[in-house]
Order: sequence, then C-alpha cells, then structure tokens
Amino acid sequence: MTDSPAQRSSTYRFAFTGTANDYFRIWAVSLPLSLLTLGIYSAWGKVRKRRYLYAHTRLDGSGFDYRAAPMAILKGRIIALTLFGGFAVGSHFLPAVQLAFFALLLLLTPWIVVASSRFNARNTAWRNVVFGFDGGLREAAKIFLGFGALALATFGLGFPYFRMRRARFIIERHRFGATPLKADLLAGGFIVAYLLAFLMLIGAAVLSMIATAIAFLMSRNVSGSGNGSPLVPLAVIYTAYIAVFAYVRARVGNLTLNGTIVGPLRCRSTLRARDLAWLYISNIVAIIVTLGLATPWVTIRMARYRARTLALEGEAQLATLAAATAPAGTATGSEVSDLFDVDVSL
Amino acid sequence: MSAAGPPQGASCSPSGGSAAATAASVGAQTSAFSGILYDGRMALRVPVRIEARGADVVIDDGTATAHMSAAEIRADAPLPGVPRMLRLPGGETIETSDHAAVAALWPERSVVARAAFALESRWWPPLAGLTLTAALAAFIVIVLLPLAAEPVARRISPEIERSIGEHTLATLDRTVFKPSRLSEEERDEISDKFAAFVAGERGEEKYELVFRRASTPNAMALPGGLIVVTDEMVRAAGNDAELLAVLAHEIGHVRGRHAMRLVLQNSGIVVLVTALAGDAVGMTVLAAAVPTMLLQSRYSREFETEADDYALAHLKRHGVSPQAFADIMRRLEKEAAATHESDGVLRYLGSHPATEERIRRAESER
Repeated sequence: MTDSPAQRSSTYRFAFTGTANDYFRIWAVSLPLSLLTLGIYSAWGKVRKRRYLYAHTRLDGSGFDYRAAPMAILKGRIIALTLFGGFAVGSHFLPAVQLAFFALLLLLTPWIVVASSRFNARNTAWRNVVFGFDGGLREAAKIFLGFGALALATFGLGFPYFRMRRARFIIERHRFGATPLKADLLAGGFIVAYLLAFLMLIGAAVLSMIATAIAFLMSRNVSGSGNGSPLVPLAVIYTAYIAVFAYVRARVGNLTLNGTIVGPLRCRSTLRARDLAWLYISNIVAIIVTLGLATPWVTIRMARYRARTLALEGEAQLATLAAATAPAGTATGSEVSDLFDVDVSL
Repeated sequence: MSAAGPPQGASCSPSGGSAAATAASVGAQTSAFSGILYDGRMALRVPVRIEARGADVVIDDGTATAHMSAAEIRADAPLPGVPRMLRLPGGETIETSDHAAVAALWPERSVVARAAFALESRWWPPLAGLTLTAALAAFIVIVLLPLAAEPVARRISPEIERSIGEHTLATLDRTVFKPSRLSEEERDEISDKFAAFVAGERGEEKYELVFRRASTPNAMALPGGLIVVTDEMVRAAGNDAELLAVLAHEIGHVRGRHAMRLVLQNSGIVVLVTALAGDAVGMTVLAAAVPTMLLQSRYSREFETEADDYALAHLKRHGVSPQAFADIMRRLEKEAAATHESDGVLRYLGSHPATEERIRRAESER
C-alpha cells in the first residue's frame, strides 16, 4: 500500500499464493476420511480445503478468512443429500415422483440461493471485516421463479436478461462490512454475449458434423472394425463445446465482475476465453490421465488464474472500508437466522 | 495507523510499560511473536507484537498495549501452509505465521482438527489414504455392489420392476425402436412357441415377448420380464431353434434379474463416483463418466456368461440342441463382418464375452 497523498487512483491486484503440494495433502486426507465416515468428515474436509484456498487468495497483502463451522456445512449437506437423493431414487422408480421433486427443487431455489449466499457471506472476512448478504426471499423468488419462467416461456430469448437480473441481485445484496456492493450491469452486454455463444454453438455443431463425416469416410476405407474412429469426432465435438463454454465464462464473468463496485472501488476482470479453454481442456486431460489425482492441482491452477485476472481499482484506500456497525443478522431477526444458517450444497 | 488503537476491552498502558513488564517477569514462561492485528472495525493492517507471560498476554502495536488472559483467546484450527488466526475477546483478529508459538500457547482441543493437521503435515498419510481409497472403491464396486444388488433386486416388488421395465421400453421406443413390421400371424406363432417354451419354468417370473424394429438384429431383457426382439433378429435366425436359443439367453437374464441388478449396481457406482469426484472442478466431472462406462461393460460380461449357461441348460431341457445357439452366434458374427457396421451388431456382440468362446462352450454342451 502506497502512502499516496489525496486522490490518486490505485490498483489492488488479487494474488493466489497456495501451492498444489500443500493442497494435495489436505485434499488427499479429506477424501479417504470422508469415505470411511460415510461422508460425515466431508464437512470438515470442505471447511479445511476452503480455508486453505481463501487464506491464499490475497488482496493487498491480506488473505481471505473462511470461518464456517463444519457442523453447519454437515447440516446443509444432509438437507441437500435428502433432496437430491430423493430425486435420484424417485426418478428411477416413478416418473411422477421425479416430476414432484423437480417442482419442489424449483420452488426451493430462491431459498437455497438466499440461504447459501447468506451463509457464505457471513462466514467470509477480509481483514476481519465480514461480508454480508441481505437478499430477501421475496426478491429471490421474483428473480429465480419470475424471470426464470420468463426465460423458459420465451424459449431462451429472455435468458440473458434473467442472467443479468440474477447477477445484479446477487451482487447488490452483498456488502463488505458496511460498504454495499453495487452492480453496474446492462442487459445489452449479456444479450450480445449469449447471442455470440449461440452462433458459436451452431458453428460447433456444424464442425462436429463435418468431423463425424470425415471419420465415417475414413473408417470405410480402412478394412476391419473402425473401433477407434468414433473417438476422433467425439474429441473434436467436446473441444468445440468447451471452447464455447469458456467463451461464455470469460465474457459473462468479465461483464459481471467489471460491473461490480465496492464503495469507492471497482472490480477489473481480465478473463480470456482462450486461456479458460486451455485450462479446461488441459484440466480434463490431466484428471483422466492421473485417474483424478490431479484434482487438487487443477483447483490450485484455476484459483491462481482467477486471482491473476482480478483487481480492484479506485481513488480510495482499502483501509478506509469499515465493518458493519451492528453485528450482522440482528436486524433481520434471529428467528429466521436458523432457517438460513446452512450452506445447502453438495 | 493511529486510528487502530489497542484492542477493546483491555487495559491500556503506554508502550514503554510493556518492555518494563517483560523485564520484570521472572519465572513464568515467556514467549513473544509478531503478527498483524485486524480490529474488526476498519480494513486496516496493524503490525503487533504479542508477548505471553504464563497465562497473561500483552499485545503491543507500538503506541499502546493491551493485556488479556490467554484463556480468553481462541486460535483457529491449524492448517498446513496457512497463517494462524487468533480471535481476541473484543472481536479483533491477529494473523501470525509463528506456528510454533501459537501451537505451544493454544494447543488444539478438537481431536478431529488435531488428527487432520497431523495427517496433512506429512506425505505418507495422504498417499496411504489415497491407496486405501482406491482399494476401498475397488472393493465396493467389484465385491460389495454386486453382492448387495442381487438380494435387493430380488426383493423389489414385481409391480415396481414391471413399471421400470415399461418406462425403459417407452424411452427406447422414442429413441431407437420402431413398430414391428412382422405380420400378426408370424408374431403370434413366435409368441405361442415362446409361451410353450417358458410354460414349464419354475419361479414366479412373468415373461412377455414384444416385437420391435431396429436397424440391427438384437434382443434384450428389460426389468420385469419384458423381452424385446427385433424384426432383424427374427429374420437373422435360420430356424425356430435358433430364435429360441436367443430367447433362452434372454430368459436367463430375466431369471437372474440382471437388468434390475445392473440398474442398482450402476446407481451405486454413480453415487460412489460422485462422492469421490465431488471436488472435481466444473466440467472436469465429465471425466467421471469414463470409469463408469468401463465398469458397466465389465458387469454385462459376467451377466452374459450367466445367461449363456442358463440358455444352454434350458435348451437341453426342451429338447433343443445347444448347437442352435452356436449356429445363431456364428450367423450374427458373419453378418457383423459383412455389414462393416461398427454400431449395431458389433455392439450386441461386443458387450458379450468373446463370441468364439461362447460358440465353443455351446458346442461342447451338445
């Protein structure tokens, strides 16, 4: 931090300092212990892994601090397991059950989003200033059920708008201590991004058809079984789809983050589609080749890339950001906090 | 920096007092380390020096000191490669990299956290753990799941099994099957023979033969005793005995509850793979599909052998020579070689044990 006099614009870069060596051991201890305890340890494992990743995600010399209690994670996992397990078992036996669970899951989405966001925000701190999420159920229902239904009803045409509203809701209901986050997002950028992705998807489909045709023609010339040949077009298809996926991730990620304003500071994200595509493809290859052993390395290199491409800019010092004056949660009432004090995820 | 001040709720004294107190403390164990204090009100970094004298802790930020009892301070569970966090009673946090000092002053109380840290700090426990995981997963998939799937499959009520079978058939009808083009007489004739063929069977299985058209000769047993045979298979069979040989093989699948066991085993594998690959990042979950697919083909091979054994015995019981089984196998193989098609026929044969071996076994049973 420079002792810049008065109003000079400063840039605070994120950095990731974790190593695959350390993270591998935490991951590799968590895996067998989770399996041996029938998943119970996975809550402790998750907290330890996340604490490691957060602590090494550093901004202006300080790491992030993940404070969740493993018990609360365990509770959330049991809820999620009951929901998704019921869904999976039900879908095998009765189509009607499948439909009912799907409807239930859909109706629960606003609650899941609000509860998880609140939980994660409340358990994340930077320099001992705790984040917060104050989104309400009603607003979440409007976004996720209302605009979600709109996106479906318009056969996807409304999807970019839904994504923009979702991002705006998530950002604007978050705060860093006493500093509310602001979202400077326009639907136009999202529409262009998804439109281009759609066109690329059509291009990828054409490409995959060409690849299949070539593979077919080649297998006819070579006598004997063409057992290996279907793999070639499959690889081409997957690569093309991953490229489109990476494009959406980079473009929408940049749009969202660049529109995120933390008090006097603004996020600057420089994700690149080709970097992400390369990361995704090499990650998949690494995981397949090592039978999953590369998973922690993959996590670390993704975290490193994310941090490297993110910065905060503005004419203010980070140190001027204050914590919330009242302890979080008291305003909304403690009776609902129990209902929200879970991180519903697997 | 002056905004930081000493932690709340602690008695303050000028900085100089700290040094004097250090000199005065004799006998009590003293340790000192440095850290960074975050007061919990502003996002400020304040370098501090922490001194512990017995049960008392003094925190000095260069301008003032705060005194508190070590018992009031809580330390976060240790994690390899991560700075320690000390939570002070006033809501402040101190970050320090002096692991040894923190470990000596605030030994971890939780057994789980202590054990996890000890295991994570060395290389052999995680490596041994992964080996154990692989062995356990292999044990579950190869021994436990097949063992558990059979009694569970037998306990599933016939109605449920039938509804799963019909559900599956409906899906296949939408995707790969077309209505049969065999004449009604032809179908009735085959159905009658099939009915006579299964009439003497022991057990409470209900069999139903359905006809469909596909692009290749195929026959399959769905859950609930539904046996599907394609027009192409009926055409491929040189005579009734050969068609009965194929059907006997499918009856073997029904009797062994193979379809239901496969569904149960695959569900088990999916749960296991999901549990193990739960950490995989984003799209890399795709990688989990590969071992699942490999394991599926392994299972079907075992079931095919079992169904073959049953088919050969069943044929003999009904006075049909097992040679018919060998004949149809040979015919299908020839057709596969002729059409060059890597999809249909080859796949039917491919999921089965080596065709040559099956033919040999059938012929030795004659």
